[in-house]
Amino acid sequence: MKFSTFGSRFALAAVAAPLAIWGWAEATATIKFTEIAAKAGIQTTHHTRIFPGKHADVLRMFTSGGSSAAAGDYDGDGLDDLFVTDSDNGKPNHLFHNNGNMTFTEVTDKAGVAGGNDPKSIVADALWLDYDNDGKEDLLIGRFGTPILYHNEGAGKFKDVSAGSGFTRFGNTIASVAFDYDNDGLVDVMLGNYFKPQNLIELPDPHVLPNDLDNAINGGGVTLWHNDGKGKFSDVTNKAGFGKLTGWTLDLGHGDFDNDGDQDMYIACDYGTDQIFFNNGNGTFTDTTEKSIGFDTRKGMNAEVTDYDNDGFLDVYVTNITDEYMKECNMLWHNNHDGTFTDISKETNTCATLWGWAAKFGDFDNDGWPDLYVVNGLRSAGKENYIPVLLNNLLLKPGMDFSDVRNWPDIGGMTWSGYQKKKMFRNLAGQTFKEISGEAGTDNEMDGRGLSLADFDHDGKLDIFQVNADQKALFYKGVTTGGGNWAQFKLTGTKSNRNAIGARITVKAAGLTQMREVDGGNGYAGQSSKTVHLGIGAATKFDSVEIRWPSGLVEKINGAALGKINKITEGKGLQTK
Amino acid sequence: MKLRNLTLVKLILTGLLLTGLIVPAFAASEAEIAKAEQAMSAKDYTTAITVLEAALQSDPDNIRAGSDYRQAIMRKSMAAHPKEGAPADFDRCVAFFEKLVAANPKASVAYLNYGFCSVDKIPAAGSITQVLLANAALGQFSKSIELKPSWIALYTRGNSYLYWPVIFGKAGLGVADLERAYGMQKSEPTRAYHQRLYISLGDGYWKTDNIDKARAIWKEGLSKFPDSKQIKARLDRKDDDLKSYIDDQLDPGKRVDTDLHEIWEAK
Repeated sequence: MKFSTFGSRFALAAVAAPLAIWGWAEATATIKFTEIAAKAGIQTTHHTRIFPGKHADVLRMFTSGGSSAAAGDYDGDGLDDLFVTDSDNGKPNHLFHNNGNMTFTEVTDKAGVAGGNDPKSIVADALWLDYDNDGKEDLLIGRFGTPILYHNEGAGKFKDVSAGSGFTRFGNTIASVAFDYDNDGLVDVMLGNYFKPQNLIELPDPHVLPNDLDNAINGGGVTLWHNDGKGKFSDVTNKAGFGKLTGWTLDLGHGDFDNDGDQDMYIACDYGTDQIFFNNGNGTFTDTTEKSIGFDTRKGMNAEVTDYDNDGFLDVYVTNITDEYMKECNMLWHNNHDGTFTDISKETNTCATLWGWAAKFGDFDNDGWPDLYVVNGLRSAGKENYIPVLLNNLLLKPGMDFSDVRNWPDIGGMTWSGYQKKKMFRNLAGQTFKEISGEAGTDNEMDGRGLSLADFDHDGKLDIFQVNADQKALFYKGVTTGGGNWAQFKLTGTKSNRNAIGARITVKAAGLTQMREVDGGNGYAGQSSKTVHLGIGAATKFDSVEIRWPSGLVEKINGAALGKINKITEGKGLQTK
Repeated sequence: MKLRNLTLVKLILTGLLLTGLIVPAFAASEAEIAKAEQAMSAKDYTTAITVLEAALQSDPDNIRAGSDYRQAIMRKSMAAHPKEGAPADFDRCVAFFEKLVAANPKASVAYLNYGFCSVDKIPAAGSITQVLLANAALGQFSKSIELKPSWIALYTRGNSYLYWPVIFGKAGLGVADLERAYGMQKSEPTRAYHQRLYISLGDGYWKTDNIDKARAIWKEGLSKFPDSKQIKARLDRKDDDLKSYIDDQLDPGKRVDTDLHEIWEAK
C-alpha cells in the first residue's frame, strides 16, 4: 500500500492539455448505436429461476440478478465471442461464436457449456479466464451453488474440470473476477456472494433475506481463490484478509488504485456498506473502507473501474437506487491520490440512474474520455406498484423480521421500479457528464442487468451487449459518426499471466495522457473484452506507449498504429504478425 | 417541518407563545438551561445533554429545553462524525424522549420533540431507515395532536406528510392537517408565521394535483406577505420548473432545520 505523491502534478497536466480535443469531439461526433440482436443471432431470452412453494415469488425476485454475459475470444481467431447465462431449472446457457460480420453462430452444444441450471443450482455469472496460461480462454460459471470450471480443450470444445478444481465450497455467487492478486503470473479468482451460503431452493431456514435493509450483515461476503498453476484453486479468503465480510456482495472491481503495482479491490454490497481493500503486496489485503470511502448504507450494485478524468489514478463508479421513493444517488468515487476517494456523482451528473445495475465505461466517440452506459430497472410487470404493498405490509409493521422470507408480501404481477429508461453519459473532458441516451438510441426500458463491451467487428467503434432479466437481450452496434482516431491493444503476458490482467497501458497523444488497465470482469454481471480500446481524438499518432506488466516489467512500445489492433507480447514488444 | 428560515421560526413561535397555542412551562430552571446553553457554546455537548435531560425530566413540555437538547445531541454527533453524523448518535435522544413520554403521557410538546428526534436522525440514516424514522415521527406528531391539536403540531405533521413520495399517497393527509391549521390561523390576526402555512398548504395542493387551489392559496399568502420570496418563487414557476423547485424543497434526504433556539433570543 504505497500512495504516490506525483498524482497532483499528473492531474493538472491531464486537465489542462485535452480541452481542445474535447472541444473537437463535442463539435463533430454524434454517439449513436443501432440495436441488432435479432439480426446478429444473439437475441437470447433470460429466465429467472422459478421456485417451488408459497414464497416462490419473493425468492424469484431476489434472485433475478443472474442474467449475465461475458465477452472473450475462446477460439483464438481474434474476435470476441459471447457467453450468455440463463437461470431457470434446465435452461441452457449460450455460447455464441463471432462470425466477424456482426452475426454469431450458437455453438453451445458442440462446446459442451450449456449446463449449470439444475434442480439445486442457479447460474448467475460467467467469466472467461486463462487459468493455466495455455493461450486458450477457459470458462468459470458462477452459481447459487458451487462454481463450474470448464477447461478449454481447443477445437471449440470444453471439459468440465470442476471436481478437481478446488471450487467445492457452496456459495450464492453473483459476481466473479479473475485477477492476479499476488503477481505470481497466474490469475486467481474472487467470488462475490449475495446470500449467505445456504441453498435457496431447499430453503432449510427461511431467514435468508437481509436482516437490515441499510446495514445488513447476513450476506455471503466474498471468497478468494489462489491458483496453484496445476489446475487447482485453494481458498485463501481468511489468509488474505477477506474472511470477516458478511455483506450482500453484488459486484467486484479490481485495479491498482494506489499505483504501487498490485491489484486492489472494491466490493459493492447491497443493503449496506461497500468495502475497499488495498493490496499489501504480500498476499494479504488491508480493509481501508473507513478511511478511504467511509461507511455507506446504499444498495451498491456495480463496481466499474477506470480513470475517467485521465489524471493517472483509477476511479470507481457504483450504481445504487435513485428512484421516486428512494434517493440514494450513485457514487462516482474520484481517486484523491492518497488512498481516499470522494464521491462526485452529483457534481458530474452521474448520480441518478433509477434502480441501477451494470455500468460500463467506454470511449464511444473516441475522444480520449471514457463515456458511461448504465442499465437499470428491477421488474416491469403490471400496473400495480409493489412499493406501497411492501411499505404497508412489511417495512412499517412493527417488529417484522426482514430476513424471514415468509414476511415478505408476494409481488404477483406487480411492477417494482420497472420500465426505466437506460442512461448513457458522454464524458466532457473528465469534468462532467452529459446524458445522451435518447439521441444515442440506447434509452430502452428493459429490466437491465449485465453489460459486455467489445469492438465485435473491429470497426473501431465499441459495441454493447445488454442482458436483461426475464427478457430478451439487446445488442447495440456502435455507429457513431465523426468520432476520433483510435487504436486497440491486445496484450499477452509471458512472465505475467497470459491474458495480462492487471497490465497497465499508458499512452500519450496530442498532449493527452490516458491510462487503462486490463480487467478480469469488473462491472456487474458482464465481462468486457480484454482488448484495450483507446480513442485519441484528432491526434494522428502516439507520442508514446508504455506497458507496465503485472510482473513489474515496464516496456516502451514503438510503432503502435492507429485504426487497428496492436498485439504486444511481454518482453517482446509489438508483434507484427 | 421545514424550518430553515430561523427568523421565520422565531416569528412563528413568538406568535404561538403570544396567542397561547403553545403554553411553555418554565418549571425547568432558567439557570439550568442557561448553564446548558453555555456548555453548548463551549462545545461541551456532554454537559449540555446531561443538564437538559435533568431539566426536561422536571419539565417535559419545556420547548426550549427540548429544542436545546436535540441541538446538543446533533452538534455532538456532527463533531464526532462530520457531514450528517452517525445514526447511533441520535439513539440517546430517541430513547430519552421515549422514556419521557412514557412517564409523562400528557406532555404534548414532549411528543413533538420526540418526533423531531427521529427527524433529526433521518439524514444520517440509510434510505430504508429514513422511511421508518419518518413514519415513527408521524406517530409522535399524531400523539401530540391527540393531546393538544395546536397549530404547530398540525402544521408539523401536515408538512411532514408532504415529504413522502407521491407513490405512498400521504399528501392528502397532509392537506387535511394543513387545512385544519389554516382554519385556526384564519380566526386570528395575521401573524408572520402564517406565511409558512400558505407555502405548505399550496405545496400540498400541488402534490395532490390541485394546481389551481395551490396557486390560489399561494396568491392569498402573497397578498398577506408581499415580500415572501418562497411564495413568489412558486408563483413564478410552472410545470416542470415548478415540480423541480418543489421537489427540491421537499427532498427527504436534506436535513431539516429543527432548531427552535432563536425564539428565546428574541424574547
